[in-house]
Parts: sequence; structure tokens; C-alpha cells
Amino acid sequence: MIASYIPMFLIIAVGILLATVFFLGSTFLGPKQAKGAEHNTPYESGSESSGGRHVRLSVKFYLTAILFVVFDIEAVFLYPWGIKFRSFGWLGLVEMLGFLGVLVIGLVYCWKKGALEWET
Amino acid sequence: MNDLVTLWVPLAVLGLGVLLLLVDVLTPPKKAAQADVGWLVAVGLLVIFGATFLVDVQGVAAYGAYRTGPWALFFQRLFLVAGALAAFGGVEDVQKRTPGRQGEYWLMMLFSLSGMVLVPGAQNLLLVVVAFELMSIPLYVLAAHGKTDPDEASAKGNAAEAAVKLYFVGALSTAFTLFGLGLLTGLTGTTELARIGAAPLQPLAALGLLFVLGGLGYKIGMVPFHMWVPDTYQGARAPFVAFLSVAPKAAGLAVIAGIFAFGMQTQKSLWVGPLGMAAFLSMAIGNLLAVTQSDTRRLLGYSGVAQMGYVLIALATGEEFGLAMVLFFLVAYLFTNLGAFLVVHANAEAGAGFEVDGLAGLSRRAPKLALALACFLLSLAGIPFVVGFWAKLYVLLAAYRAGLVSLVVAGVVLAVIGLFYYLRLLRAAYMTEPTVSRPDERFGGPALGLAIALCVVAVVGLGLFPKPLLDAATRASHDLGVPAAAPHVGAR
Repeated sequence: MIASYIPMFLIIAVGILLATVFFLGSTFLGPKQAKGAEHNTPYESGSESSGGRHVRLSVKFYLTAILFVVFDIEAVFLYPWGIKFRSFGWLGLVEMLGFLGVLVIGLVYCWKKGALEWET
Repeated sequence: MNDLVTLWVPLAVLGLGVLLLLVDVLTPPKKAAQADVGWLVAVGLLVIFGATFLVDVQGVAAYGAYRTGPWALFFQRLFLVAGALAAFGGVEDVQKRTPGRQGEYWLMMLFSLSGMVLVPGAQNLLLVVVAFELMSIPLYVLAAHGKTDPDEASAKGNAAEAAVKLYFVGALSTAFTLFGLGLLTGLTGTTELARIGAAPLQPLAALGLLFVLGGLGYKIGMVPFHMWVPDTYQGARAPFVAFLSVAPKAAGLAVIAGIFAFGMQTQKSLWVGPLGMAAFLSMAIGNLLAVTQSDTRRLLGYSGVAQMGYVLIALATGEEFGLAMVLFFLVAYLFTNLGAFLVVHANAEAGAGFEVDGLAGLSRRAPKLALALACFLLSLAGIPFVVGFWAKLYVLLAAYRAGLVSLVVAGVVLAVIGLFYYLRLLRAAYMTEPTVSRPDERFGGPALGLAIALCVVAVVGLGLFPKPLLDAATRASHDLGVPAAAPHVGAR
């Protein structure tokens, strides 16, 4: 049983080995030069970085994204259901209507709570 | 369609949530601030609880991932009652603290409950994890509910601390559990609870079980994973803590029983040691640390850690009788601990705070409340004629029959220490003069009183007539399918 884990341990070993080789290689083989403040700045495509790291995003973006995902999932369910609609019969229709009903209630809730208003 | 019938309890709880959503959103804004939607939750949960006695559904759903029967039903009833009592206990508090936004609190609670009622029926490790998370995530939100409270400057920030601690510990424990379950699944190639027992007896299986025990141990507040318990109990609102201190712990124990006693019953030699050790440590550390606490919520938190130790003794037997005693203990603990927290909350509502000294003269300020507190504390301590006595007795009896004599001795000795601090609370309530006397004190509203009264009725009623509950627990434990007891050591 343990034997079947050997490939996993090999991968871990190779990972550690590679990281060690790269780090040591750059330390010993790389050019030795004076390290100034310029050296320690985060490197981004050669251009100087500006501004702070913490960008504040409005919570509205998250809200919109989550609402989108909810109704996106609805579409994901609806397509395969639509293709197999005939073989599901009346029961399938009722079940899908129940699912949509719950989603509609959710939509009403979002609407009434003002989650769809951008300017608030 | 059959699946929907088999899953009717979780669906009913979810349906109640959807109904609440509609009620919440269709209530005119002017009325919303006064609406006690908590009543709807409590009554709705009680209706579902009643329906579980009328609807007779057994079987499997979702390709065997969920099975309902006496075992699942027992836990589901426990959760529904805990939810209803916590709802009664919290109606006024939630309405007072977050007027116009009560719906959010109750929705979160119902969603948490819908995950909770799935947990005991889950027969597949995937469903176990998903249902457990469905239960846990709303709890983090609930712990932080109303954290920006204008009128309580001193408690400000504590709810956030409580929620963050609960959240980090919860996330960590999920990672632990998943890692352990991953090892077990890797060893057996199955996620079915009934078949993970095929894992070979080897160190990797022991490691997996230890990780699972650690992860679930966090959730039930078992030593050495109990650090979050007192801080969270102190920071969050008392009616919520009353719920948090009983229902999720019962769910955690349902999973532990499912994975250890049922799934890994053939590997008993691997887990009986760690479980027994955890039981002993929980009893010892919980009881000893509770003695030094001056805040009633912290004290009850540590006492809860100790109580979990007693449950784990019975669980460590891994037998049908022991598991029945686990169930009995959990019901006793539900009413007792929930009631105790609600009394403490009622006393704080009257402006006396949460310190032990704040209980001073409760017997004169509110005789009925003091009497209720006495019932709960005697039950926690395990004094006869309240249900806690039978719970402790049966747990120790089960351990004795399974030959865990050293744990029985430790349990009895440590129960004496427990008696000390429970009586300290009682002494404050009955034998000290009130520090301040205000004739117009109000100990919460009618719903809170109703919740406490129901708890008292259950604690005393089950203390006098434990037989029906005992029978139900035995039936439920038989349903799980663990081995029956070994040859009898002691008399029943």
C-alpha cells in the first residue's frame, strides 16, 4: 500500500531538489553587484510601481458578481433540462418550476433589499 | 421524487427559510422594526418537530448518500427542538438589537439548521463534509450578528472577536477533517461511510483518524482543541451561544459516531485510545479551569468542555449501549445547557451583567428564574431527580460495562470538582445579598420566559420519567448498526 505512494514522494523530492538547485544556482552563479534600494523594489514589467498595495473595491462588485453566479447556475441547469424535457414529463416540469420559484423568491428578496440598486 | 420524500426534514427546514425570506421582504418597512419574526421560526420548527412523529419515512436518497431512520430522526428532532428553544430565547434580543434586520439572523439560523439536519443522515463522506459546512458557515455570521451595537459600549468588538475566533478555528478544523478523510479515502478508494472500515490497520489509517478526530474535536470543543470555546461564548450574544453550545456539538458527535463507531468499527483498536484520552483530558481540564472563572459564560463554556468529556467516554465504548447513552446525554445536555445560558442571559437583560457576582440575590429578585437556574445547575452537576443525573449515570454505566473502568473513576472524581463550581453559582444566586436592588427589573420578555420554562419542564420531566427517552435513544442507536455490547459486566 505504501509502495503506491512512492510516485507522490518522488514528486515532492524533485520539487524540493529543483527549488534548492535554482536558489543555490542564482546565489553562486549570478552576477555579484552592489544591491541598492532599486534592487529591492518589486519588479513589474520594468516599469516603476506606484500607489499602495491595498486597492479598495466597492462591495457592490462582489454583490453583483454573486448575483450573477446564482442566475448563471440557473441557466446551467435549464439547458440540459430543456434538452431532455420530453422524457422527464410533467414531474420534471413541476420540479423545475419549484427550482425556478425558489430563485424568483431570491430575486424578489434581492430587489426589495436594494441589492440591484447601483446608487445607494 | 422519492428522494424528495426521504429528504423531507431538511427540505421542510429550507422551506421555512424561504417562507421567512418572503415574510421578511414583504413586511412594510414601517412594521419591520417591531416584527418578531423569531416567533414564526420557533413555531415553524416546532411544527416540523411535531410532524416527525406523524410522518413515517425511512430509506435512502441521493444514491445512498443519505439515509433516514431512527438514528437520523433522533438527531433531527434534537436539532429542531434546539432551534425552536433558541428561537424563543432570542426573539426579543434580536428584535431589540437589530430592529428592521431581524430577518437576517433567523435566515442564517434556519440555513444552519438545514445543514445540521442533513448531518446525521449522511452516509457518504462528501455529504458529511458539505452538510457540516452548510451548518458551520452561517454560525460564523450569527456569532458576529449585531456587532456594532450602539447601546452597549463595553461589549462592542467582542462579537467580532468571537466570530473571528469561531471562523478561524472552524476553517482550520475543516482542513484537518478533510485531510484526515482524504487519507482514509486514499486507503480504501471509497467515500462511503459503510466501506471506509476496509482501511488496513496501519499507521496511515491511524493518522487519518487522528486528523478527523482533531478536526471534529475543534467543533465539539474537546480538549486539546477547546481554546476558542470560552472566548466565543463570552463575546457572542447569549441566546445564540445557547444554541451554539448544544446543537453544533450534537452534530459533531453524530459525525464522530458515524465515522468512528460505525464506519471504522473494525479498527476500534486504533481510535479507542485517543478517544478515551480526549475524554479524560476534556473532563479534567474543563472542570479544573471552570473553577477559576468569574464570568458565567466562560464558566459555562468550560463546563461544556467537561460535559463533552463525559459524552466521549460513552462514545469510546463504540457499542450500541454506549451510543444510546451518548444520545440520552445529548438530549439532557441540550435542555440543561440551553436553559442555563438563557437564565444567565435573562439576568444580564435585567442589567446585572454576566459576572458570577451579578447573580447575587437572584432568589429574591426573581424567585422563579433562580429556581430554574437551580434545576439546570443541579442537572449539569448530575444530582438526582433531574435529567443530568441519569445522563451521567448511564454514561458511566456504559463505560463500566465496556470495561473502561479508569475513565469511570476519573469521571466520578472530576464530577465532584464540577459540583464545586456549579454550587458556587447557586450560592451566588441563593445565599448572597443583592448588590443593587431595582424594583423595576425586567428579566427579558415573555418568549424568553417561555423558552426557560420549556427547558425546566424537560429537565425535570425527563429526570422523573427518563424511560421514554431511553427507549428512543436505544432504538436510534440500534439503527446505526454498531456492534451490540460485549458480555455483560455489570447489571443494567
